[in-house]
Amino acid sequence: MRLLRIHLSKGTRTLILIIAAALVYGVLNVYSNRLLLPSAPFIALRPQVALPFFLGFVFGPWVGFLTGFLGNMIGDGLCGYGCWNFWNWHIANGIYGLLPGLACYFGLKEIRTLRRFVIMEIIVVGTNVIAVGFAVLADLFWLKMMQFPESLNAWILPALITNIVLSFVLVPLLLVFGKFIVITVETRITLALSWLMVSIVVISATAVTWTVWSDLASQEASVRAFYSAGIVTVLVVIIGFIISVFLAHRITDPLVSLGQAARQIEEGEYRLPVLDTLDKRSDEFGQLATVMRSMASQIETRETRLKNQVAELKIEIDRTKQDEDVREIVESDYFKTLRQKARGFRATPRIDKEEEIEDVTPKDDESSSI
Amino acid sequence: MSKIISVHSFRGGTGKSNTAANLAVSLAQMGLRVCVVDTDIQSPGIHVMFQLNPKDIDFSLNDFLWGKCEIEQTAREVFTEGSKGKVFLIPSSMRTGDIARVLKFGYDIQLLREGFMNIISRLAIDVLLIDTHPGLNEETLMSIALSDVLLIILRPDSQDYQGTAVTVEVARQIEVPQMYLLMNKVPDLFDKAETIEKAQAAFTCPVIGILPHSDEMMMLASNGIFVRQYPDHPVTREIAMVAQKIME
Repeated sequence: MRLLRIHLSKGTRTLILIIAAALVYGVLNVYSNRLLLPSAPFIALRPQVALPFFLGFVFGPWVGFLTGFLGNMIGDGLCGYGCWNFWNWHIANGIYGLLPGLACYFGLKEIRTLRRFVIMEIIVVGTNVIAVGFAVLADLFWLKMMQFPESLNAWILPALITNIVLSFVLVPLLLVFGKFIVITVETRITLALSWLMVSIVVISATAVTWTVWSDLASQEASVRAFYSAGIVTVLVVIIGFIISVFLAHRITDPLVSLGQAARQIEEGEYRLPVLDTLDKRSDEFGQLATVMRSMASQIETRETRLKNQVAELKIEIDRTKQDEDVREIVESDYFKTLRQKARGFRATPRIDKEEEIEDVTPKDDESSSI
Repeated sequence: MSKIISVHSFRGGTGKSNTAANLAVSLAQMGLRVCVVDTDIQSPGIHVMFQLNPKDIDFSLNDFLWGKCEIEQTAREVFTEGSKGKVFLIPSSMRTGDIARVLKFGYDIQLLREGFMNIISRLAIDVLLIDTHPGLNEETLMSIALSDVLLIILRPDSQDYQGTAVTVEVARQIEVPQMYLLMNKVPDLFDKAETIEKAQAAFTCPVIGILPHSDEMMMLASNGIFVRQYPDHPVTREIAMVAQKIME
């Protein structure tokens, strides 16, 4: 791996990545096609749908788009559906990588906050809707392969529901391994809560599906009801995600405020308005905020006291005693003589440095010769 | 024009000798030829800073004052910076007998002045830095009387204020041409500008610099010259600034 990295240019490496990812995607499509959904002859459970999303977020729009597009084409070819018959679905799979790639291109990098995590999940769900929507519209206008009201249950809903749920669960996981989601307290709590909640919903829905699907297959009305239940599942997932985001926010927001408060103390600002709502909470965060506030006010008091001490110390000179001491020295005979001598010294010019030394030396010689 | 600078403090423990030694090296680093004279004959100490062993001292200031030698025989080169900057040191005798003799008989200002003048011209000295004895005894007054500049070191400590106020006034009476205060060991939490302002108002004398309290300086104590060992330290920068100002 390391050798490859050194010798290959960036463009070549990207090309290899796209081809490899598309092959993996295509082959996985072949195998997952065996997990066909109840009464939906062309739509299968496809966990690999998370792959183009992941590559789009991490490597940008081109890698994401080509992986989805080529991968789906390879998969269709291998399954014997023909390489180009369902081109609208190739593009739809390409969109799975394209839109996350564009989001990354326009600045969504390094998910380390709750806000960015939510944006990422909105992009995942939105991309699913847009991609499937595109495939359906393309079919309506160009391919004309499906009869619309019937196709809703046969194609569209199964594809949308499974893809949304799977990508919702798997994309964040892949992004954690790819270090695109940076593990902070915020992302860790959001991940834990949302994954726990989504996986419970998905596992129970899957269990129900596998138990009843052989009975369902024969009854058209029940199938319709089953996919309506699928929509409810998606809604539950989304609502559950919103709740978990809210909970995560309740936990991480105080940390941010406490961090800001600590920084303000560092800068010598002790009023701490960022803690105004936090210290009214009754939980541990509220207690911490209260302690921090009282700590800050004590630091402030101590600091002011020390500053005042300097001011007081400075003015403590006993002028009467100073005058007495000075008088005692300057009125002595020794001092008066010294002052006279000093005046004399200052009036005499001083001899400096080498050039003047040369003037002095001959005189010395003269005097010594006399 | 050469300058004679007395470094003085009313009380001991202000870091007077330490500051004098560092100031001398800082001046030498500006390319000046500096001679440090230890006139603190009662309790000499500055030689320690320059790592001068008492056994290696052939002649001291005492020997010159008693006519045993020429003044330049007492000067030892203790620091060189580049081609020009140098520090010479004229130590005081460490022998207790010599110290007692000075205490008993004192010495003559005329002779001391002659010594200063000769060393300045013979070694081409730019700055003669006198490390004085604390307090205001006759020898210290003599040094101040012979100086162009008096640098008074004090700490932000009530014990130093009264004596410093007296020293400033006495020095003014002896008509020393320039006088500065240098505050040493000032804790960080004191506001610098405010400290300068207050000190100038209280002593009616300009403050040339504020040397912050430094743990590194405490650790080094007298075992070397701080400005050499910590060239980028705030204390070093402040001493360099004082050296610049004092030569203006």
